[in-house]
Amino acid sequence: MNYWMMFWTGALVIAGCSFAVITAIVSVFGYRDLMQMFRRLTAQGGKEKENE
Amino acid sequence: MTFTSLDWIIVIVYLILSVAIGMIGRRYVGSVAHYLVAGRELGVFVGIATLAATEIGTITFMYNAELGYRYGFAPFIVALISGLVMVIIGRTGFVITRFRSMKLMTVPEFFERKYSLGLRLFTGVLVALGGILNMGVFLKIEGEFLTVISGINAKYLVTVMTVILLLEMLYTVVGGMVSIVITDFIQYVLLSTATILVSIFAVFHAGWHNILTKVAATMGEKGFSPIANPKFGLTFIIWQVLLWFSIHTCWQTTAMRMFSTKDPETSKKVMTWTGFIYLGRGMLPMLWGIAALATLGTGNNHDGVPMPVLNGHVLQPIDAMPAMLGSILGPGIKGLVVAGMLAATMSVNSSYLLGWSSVISQDIIMPARQVLGKVPLSSRSQILVNRLANLFVGLFLMFWGLYYTPPGAVYLYLNVTGTIFLAGAFVCVIGGLYWKRANVMGGYLAMFMGAVGVIVPFFFLHWNENVTGFTAFALAAFGLVFGSLLGSPWEKIIAESQTP
Repeated sequence: MNYWMMFWTGALVIAGCSFAVITAIVSVFGYRDLMQMFRRLTAQGGKEKENE
Repeated sequence: MTFTSLDWIIVIVYLILSVAIGMIGRRYVGSVAHYLVAGRELGVFVGIATLAATEIGTITFMYNAELGYRYGFAPFIVALISGLVMVIIGRTGFVITRFRSMKLMTVPEFFERKYSLGLRLFTGVLVALGGILNMGVFLKIEGEFLTVISGINAKYLVTVMTVILLLEMLYTVVGGMVSIVITDFIQYVLLSTATILVSIFAVFHAGWHNILTKVAATMGEKGFSPIANPKFGLTFIIWQVLLWFSIHTCWQTTAMRMFSTKDPETSKKVMTWTGFIYLGRGMLPMLWGIAALATLGTGNNHDGVPMPVLNGHVLQPIDAMPAMLGSILGPGIKGLVVAGMLAATMSVNSSYLLGWSSVISQDIIMPARQVLGKVPLSSRSQILVNRLANLFVGLFLMFWGLYYTPPGAVYLYLNVTGTIFLAGAFVCVIGGLYWKRANVMGGYLAMFMGAVGVIVPFFFLHWNENVTGFTAFALAAFGLVFGSLLGSPWEKIIAESQTP
């Protein structure tokens, strides 16, 4: 039981930290991605990309 | 426990802003590819945000917290499997890179490319049916969360959830995937912040030592070891590995994010990094459930755990987490957390609305028109059909979702209903991509046996979820192999008889 207790405590710490760090990174760089997506969609001008 | 004016202002401002921002997507929708897969222009970071936001909803928090309350730390294995499997798929590109290279828009579309139009139609019906019924329980559970945490009268539940659903539908119908990606990004930031805040509050409030002691005292080793807990065990673990491989590759809403990425390499990166988020997606809400057990679990024992009690009222285990949050969060913070949960709800529901309605339009209506010999629809007409399908799914959910109550633990119920089509679909996709002899007869048999392998044992023979899920995958695999080996000579004979 102690082994499992330690294992899940470690897993929880890793999960919580990676969740927080990835959230911070995505919050900053996701906005840039979003703006790029808008520019490309505008450039496509409503044309079917599938037919390119 | 009641909401203050400040909490209501935060929630209402969030709802108005969210819908207004979502409507921006409309101006970028010029084709059906824009509507369904955002023109395949998703970058890595926004891809992670939209994939995570789509698969983290209030329903996710509720069922994971329920697992934590009922079974302690043992269900952490589910989060570990879901995250690790996602990282493995991301690193290897298993299925997803081939899917992305094929420029698909829905999963059943693959079935026409590899197998036949008929199998696409058959799969489309199973996917839409399983998916919509699966989503059907979301509204009620989400409504329970809102009612318990905000303290609003239960008689307003239907009205509140209907308004939220209508708001989600408004921007989803109009802007499709583009609107969803925009709102998902904002919703992801908000829901993740709320998740981190609540986790800190929950541990601080219940105390880490108390949490461990309560689980050990109540459940013993079963509360920590997924092997020792009879609800889980080795069969459960094998089923979960198979299930999560199939969910991360064949679940329509997840697959749509992979189809929407800029290229196959981007889809691999999105999947890998989201895998780490999936660890927290499962474990953190389970921790909230365990914290609720430590603070509110003082009632009589039921199924091995004490029932939650708050202010003398006995609650259901699934309501323990929102009840705990309602009692420990102060004014303002509670509004922020509820706005975060609403963000989670809206991002999941809007994506699921689009996901399942796209299957109805692209994999049922379009192929059916083709079978009937009708001329193909223009891109503009296809968008219209998609919007109508979206409305249909939304209306169905409004009537079904608010009144149906799932039996037992919600997580297991969702898994079982998902397996109805996932077992067959996953086996067919693997066979279609990696086994040259897989053919149409094998495909039909796999889909049929996968569905029957769930429906008969679970609903009629009342086997437990683990054995049912495992059996469904085994039967689907047997169906594909047996049907393909049997089908090959038949197809040869039919082809020869048709040769002049």
